[in-house]
Amino acid sequence: MNDISEAFVSSLGLILFLDAELLEIILLSFRITFYAVLISSILGIPLGAFLASTHFKFRNSVVSILFGMMGLPPVVVGLFVYLIFSRSGSLGWMGLLYSPTVMIIAQVILILPIVCCLTFQIIESLHTRYHEFFRSYRIAKLKSVITYIVDSRFELTTVVLAGIGRSISEVGAIIIVGGNIDHITRVMTTAIALETSKGNLDLALGLGIILLATAIVLNGFILFLRGKYLKTPGSTI
Amino acid sequence: MASQDTQININDLSFNIEGKTLLHNTNLSLNGDGITVLLGANGAGKTIFLKLLTGLLTPSSGSTTFQSGNLSIKTRAFVSQEPVILRRTVLKNMLFVLEKITSEKSTLAKELLSLMGLDKKENQNALTLSAGEKQRLCLARAIITDPEILLLDEPTANIEPNSTTLIEKYLIQKVRSSRKIFFVTHDINQARRLADEIVFIHNGRVIEHSSAENFFENPKTREARKYISGKIN
Repeated sequence: MNDISEAFVSSLGLILFLDAELLEIILLSFRITFYAVLISSILGIPLGAFLASTHFKFRNSVVSILFGMMGLPPVVVGLFVYLIFSRSGSLGWMGLLYSPTVMIIAQVILILPIVCCLTFQIIESLHTRYHEFFRSYRIAKLKSVITYIVDSRFELTTVVLAGIGRSISEVGAIIIVGGNIDHITRVMTTAIALETSKGNLDLALGLGIILLATAIVLNGFILFLRGKYLKTPGSTI
Repeated sequence: MASQDTQININDLSFNIEGKTLLHNTNLSLNGDGITVLLGANGAGKTIFLKLLTGLLTPSSGSTTFQSGNLSIKTRAFVSQEPVILRRTVLKNMLFVLEKITSEKSTLAKELLSLMGLDKKENQNALTLSAGEKQRLCLARAIITDPEILLLDEPTANIEPNSTTLIEKYLIQKVRSSRKIFFVTHDINQARRLADEIVFIHNGRVIEHSSAENFFENPKTREARKYISGKIN
């Protein structure tokens, strides 16, 4: 108990005095999360909007697969990406294994279905209201998809925040493809796993506090936005 | 613009869904001007008929022709009973339906909003309007596309009386002379106020088509007489 208290006090010291190692790990975590969520949103939001507002032959199958992918086990994704980017893998020639880039790729595979499916759910309800109007005025497909996204922008903010929450707390995939290399691919979650196994509890706790605070702030922000948008006319959440 | 020379021909139009016929083989020849009110009890098939004319539904058989060729969808504008309002300002809702926004169209949008009593609300979030104001906005938005045919599906249902009055007045004074209007209602009094001609639909069949005066003074079918007397609704 004493050790834990000491570690806790020590971890607070690391945070308050902006320990260089701690800061480096936090910044890399945020950088990887930023790019992973940015790419997932750029791809997933329009794709979700398109799927929600378009009927084609295998649409239900595509949607079912995407919804199934929301529960992809991170370690399986990590293994899959590892095999592709390892030296003998099909993309091994790119030399990306154990780099932040491949960690972003793994995270995009994990987050993209979440962003896409949540977007699909939000825009599907809007599509029910709008599609007859769009058809009667012959609104072009691209314009209608853009309108769905613009008109559900408040709800989609919570989708992006959910993506950030998933990304920043992920460990299974990025530890496999990133290798948890000091100063190169070590992020908050992988560092916590390593430092805990080494018994270096102050750094692990310091990172844990930051991670927890990030999750609380994100969820608080989601709740704040939800409350705010529920008061907005036409809210669909 | 639709004119007196124009004919709308509905040839053997029917609509089936899941083995059930919602509109039976309908043949009609209508003038290209004035207000045609589609009258009938709830569930008679008025909205189905209107949506077939709009092109929102594909007929199971038959066709609608406008003068000499197929009706171009660009010439029609549809306003539904439930106003569809986009999450933006009143003015932006107006301009949304235009392919190209010109200064003339912007001025026209403002004029139409003024006619609909919404000029002071053009920069307001359209979703905050009252039900009647939303429906007035939908009507103005339909007009700005300059349609030859305006198809209105119970546009005054569930809205305030002053909005109903404003819409009716606008249709009679400003729209009737320049374009064809199809107006769905099951309000007999509203049909009396607006209609030039009546198409009476009962159980998915057009059973009467005549001038409004003839229809109300001398209905030919038992169902129409019962409907006018309020025995079916």
